[in-house]
Amino acid sequence: MERTADVSFHHLDQFASVPSPVTRATPTARVLATTTLAVGTAALPLGAWQHLGVLAGLVAFLAAAAHLPVSLVVRRLAGPFVFVLAASTGLLFLVPGEPLVRIGPFGVSDTGLQRFGFVLGRASVALTAAVVLVSTTSFPELLQALRQLRLPAVVTTALGLGYRLLYLLVDEIERLQRAARSRNAQGGATSRRRLLVGISAAGLSRAFARGERTHRAMLARGFTGDLPSLAPKPWDARTIVSLCLLVMAVAAVAVSAYVSI
Amino acid sequence: MAHIPDGFLSAQVMAGTAAVSAASLAVAVHRSRRYLAEREAPVLGAATAFVFAAQMLNFPLGAGTSAHLLGGVLVGTILGPWAAMLVLFAVVLVQALLFQDGGIGTLGANTLNIAILGVGGGMLLYRWLVALFGVGLRRRVLAAAMAGFGSTVLVGLAVAIELALSGTVPLAPALVAVGGGHALMGIGEGVITGAILGMVLRARPELVTGMRDPSGRGRALAYAVTGFALILAGAAGYVASSQPDALESAAERLGIVEVETAYLTAPFADYTSPLGGALFAAVVGVVVVFGVAWAIGRAVAWRGLRT
Repeated sequence: MERTADVSFHHLDQFASVPSPVTRATPTARVLATTTLAVGTAALPLGAWQHLGVLAGLVAFLAAAAHLPVSLVVRRLAGPFVFVLAASTGLLFLVPGEPLVRIGPFGVSDTGLQRFGFVLGRASVALTAAVVLVSTTSFPELLQALRQLRLPAVVTTALGLGYRLLYLLVDEIERLQRAARSRNAQGGATSRRRLLVGISAAGLSRAFARGERTHRAMLARGFTGDLPSLAPKPWDARTIVSLCLLVMAVAAVAVSAYVSI
Repeated sequence: MAHIPDGFLSAQVMAGTAAVSAASLAVAVHRSRRYLAEREAPVLGAATAFVFAAQMLNFPLGAGTSAHLLGGVLVGTILGPWAAMLVLFAVVLVQALLFQDGGIGTLGANTLNIAILGVGGGMLLYRWLVALFGVGLRRRVLAAAMAGFGSTVLVGLAVAIELALSGTVPLAPALVAVGGGHALMGIGEGVITGAILGMVLRARPELVTGMRDPSGRGRALAYAVTGFALILAGAAGYVASSQPDALESAAERLGIVEVETAYLTAPFADYTSPLGGALFAAVVGVVVVFGVAWAIGRAVAWRGLRT
């Protein structure tokens, strides 16, 4: 049986409506907290394992506070982690040092092994922070946060329209592929390549046509250059204090890592 | 590794690339508004959605490999470079925030590589090639294919330099591994960019930004740049001949110099030749590489227009 399109608008943020200390905070605070954790983790000097452990604990605490099941976090991490693992593996062979193991003409050095482990650790902690953000924040909330953080309106509007069109376009491209398959129109690699080029060009043309139609409809409803949004969640004292504490904690960990290494 | 994950770059490199990206995006916002005016929002939204959707399609390249579109040069030929920078920034931003493809801390570096250097460098190359070749349909497809290749190589070089500046990997092996990988990816990018642009130019030419035939001055400038590139290649040839290249240096560091075996005798081994040594070898090298890229692009242009 033909698989139907399974992309939906809300497949990423199932925990955005679950009441928790994280979802109670304004989305801007959530974005700032995630950015602080990701930057703080990524900025740790090589070899600062204890400091990395502290930041990993902070991220785990946030995931627990957001009531995210471990299985969901692990499942969400799996895809990007495979990519990060593949990218880090190169470090085993490319970083010079005392050779530990030889695999054919390549040697794994001690420095390479340490760097591989630490880079993978830093990446995993930062990835988990991003997973907490995306699981607890809906896309409209994310856009609202980016607007409050003074990202140019043209970019946030393009993001909003792009996200709205994306799922329609993916469905349309899947329909075109299904139609081609049903006509048995993809024999060898060459005809498959031609077919994909045709589908991509059709997708491009349809995306622009749909964009123009959507824009005309928006103008008819009084669009003045910025997408309207629901009233943003207000900043409350608890959010401000929590965010300040988090920023200070991450800064203290990062600074102490540089001092102690 | 076009998208650098968090953990691979140092704090200084993350801060520096973020500052350069922010300044470049501010210019792009200003310039794209002037060019697109009230069409800006729908056009950028549609292009963002298209790049996302197109990146989900894997094109078989043969020998069990496949590639997907990065899209910088393709969108640049349609919307112009400034708007294309904003589109690619929107894509990089959503990939980092929603799909964890590229880090949040490394967002500045990824924006600089993919949206600023990838699009800006690719479009400079495209315009230079159009000035050399002319604005005919096949010539534009050929130029776009070559620019798509060049843009991807540029992204790879930028990633390698940032990794080296961060102290994650030494420069020589980073250039070989990341730059070399992107050169292979670039072939796919060039082929896909040329093929899609060819089809769009045939089916919906009004979507693509119009280009005037280059003036005599513009063409003279393009030839001057080509001449300068040849001279630069000659100078680089002298430097390269006196120092081990990136691959040799990487092999030395990995301790595999002793197993080096020549299966095929190079015509200008170690940049020496009977007719003028390093300079002649470098110039011939540039001409041959340009010729091969031109032949691939031309083949794409022909095939793209026939499909």
